Amino acid sequence: MLRPYTRRLLLLLPTTTYRTAAFVEAARRLGVELTVASERPSTFEGAQPAAFLTLDFAAPERAAEQAAEFARRHPVAGVVGVDDDTAVVAAAIAGRLELTGNPVAAALAARDKHMQRVELARHGAPVPRFELHGLGEDVTDFAARLRYPCVLKPLRLAASRGVIRADDPAGFAAAFQRVGRILAQPDVVGCGDWTSRVLVEDFIPGPEVALEGLVVAGRLHVLALFDKPDPLDGPFFEESIYTTPSRLPQRAQAALGACARDAVVALGIREGPVHAELRWNESGPWLIELAARSIGGRCSAALRFGAGETSLEEIIIRHALGMPLPSLERERQASGVMMIPVPTTGVLRELRGVAAARTVPLIEDVVITAHPGQMLLPWPEGWRYPGFIFARGETPEVVEVALRTAHRRLEFIIE
Amino acid sequence: MDAPEIRITAEPIDGSRCKFMVSQPLHAAGVRRFASPAEAQDSPLAAAIFAIPGAEIGEVIVSGNLVTVVKRGATPWTAVGKSVGQAIRAALASGAPPLAPKAEAPVATADDDTLYERVAQLFDEQVNPMVARHGGRVELIDVQDAVVMLRMMGGCQGCGMADVTLRQGIEAMLQQHVPAVKGIVDITDHTAGTNPYFAAAKK
Repeated sequence: MLRPYTRRLLLLLPTTTYRTAAFVEAARRLGVELTVASERPSTFEGAQPAAFLTLDFAAPERAAEQAAEFARRHPVAGVVGVDDDTAVVAAAIAGRLELTGNPVAAALAARDKHMQRVELARHGAPVPRFELHGLGEDVTDFAARLRYPCVLKPLRLAASRGVIRADDPAGFAAAFQRVGRILAQPDVVGCGDWTSRVLVEDFIPGPEVALEGLVVAGRLHVLALFDKPDPLDGPFFEESIYTTPSRLPQRAQAALGACARDAVVALGIREGPVHAELRWNESGPWLIELAARSIGGRCSAALRFGAGETSLEEIIIRHALGMPLPSLERERQASGVMMIPVPTTGVLRELRGVAAARTVPLIEDVVITAHPGQMLLPWPEGWRYPGFIFARGETPEVVEVALRTAHRRLEFIIE
Repeated sequence: MDAPEIRITAEPIDGSRCKFMVSQPLHAAGVRRFASPAEAQDSPLAAAIFAIPGAEIGEVIVSGNLVTVVKRGATPWTAVGKSVGQAIRAALASGAPPLAPKAEAPVATADDDTLYERVAQLFDEQVNPMVARHGGRVELIDVQDAVVMLRMMGGCQGCGMADVTLRQGIEAMLQQHVPAVKGIVDITDHTAGTNPYFAAAKK
């Protein structure tokens, strides 16, 4: 078994994250001593008190107190959050334990879509025109004066859950009610005041990209820029294919990177991974979202660095622990991931064709994360992809073709 | 009569480990683990996998219709996996038994047997009562050369936190209570889990 690195990493892993295997494997490869903190207790916590910790992710300051108490017994050298909520908790813990991390205010601004736009607009960043509405407001009062098309967004839900485009007042009223129903779902409704409000912003036309970066001492290093070749024009915004390197002109890529750098500064992000969604059109770059965390789902497997031996998670852990950083240069090959779309509502009975999909040239892996018997729910109500397809090749064009070919070989049996 | 078609499904666990499910049984009597080409020399299936050029195979574990391959090289499973599939097919097509009977090795077996007893006791008395609280169960498959092979079931099979349970929980307890154990290999087919305790969602 691997000899642990002498410094302890506190890894904040929500029990519903897809990121577990990638981070745990990265920590093992680096040989770091690892404590996994989750919002629900592990059944091993009593037997392995240094390896597990239960933290109140809903109350970051309380979680920081709990972490400080833990650190008195088991000194902690670094903390990493893996999603929007744990990024805030990680910031609070980093502040309390004087570890590498972000100010809590920055992590909060990155998590809340309205707060983020207020901050970005205040600093002159190119964000869509936006306004905030309460679910209790009379839609007819303001739907007529909105500019169309517009996009309705819950303030915090992940994976574009509840994000809907509206093209006219009637469509807006229907979308507003639909978002309200999503925010009333049992897993959402008790999560805080934000569930009673909806952000409404201009729809920004043009291709969308995802930028993956690492912020070190306030300076953003762009790790990868992903194109999203399927147009995200709505009415719903389920992600599908990401490919990198970007096929946009160099001028556009440079402007998008500069836009993200300005946004990092505007939000006060100082350290750690960021994941940004941007659009590009004749007006230039637009900042759609910027999160103080790394890319979601299993998508990080599309990224390798140096000669292909370093994962994104290893870079994040190294940075958090103050270990020397390896090359932040992405591997030479083009790479891509497809978040497998949910074909229809129903219970997954079987997924056929996985082996055939894996035989498609350039396909590296097909990872199925849905389990037989799982309820599949399409967007905008849904937020869980049934799996991920990965490909690598000489160019993003051939990678995209491979992903689409592999996807066509999958057959969902849904009842 | 034509030989039945051999179907093989590859299921990478991570960059270094991959499971291959074969449509016909390969080894009915427990688990065989091969940690070097020398150990595999009388077993055509394992020997063929070790012989894949450039793959740097470190370990081959065969149980039932499942082959778990561990590699040290950076070549992706896309490339290596196809060669492993060809090696398995070729070994089965030869008509010879894919694996040689397990050699009598009294000293090593005795050590592994002792370890097996201790690990089984740990699983029965401590590990399984813990994972049972989440509807899970961990089955000890075998111990070979001080490497524990296990399968996760129930709430653990396909659980989003299975890796944490495995590495932070089970492996740590083994290090503490049975320090002679050198490693663990999870041979679970996590994609077939129908009732995982924690299911993942994109964040």
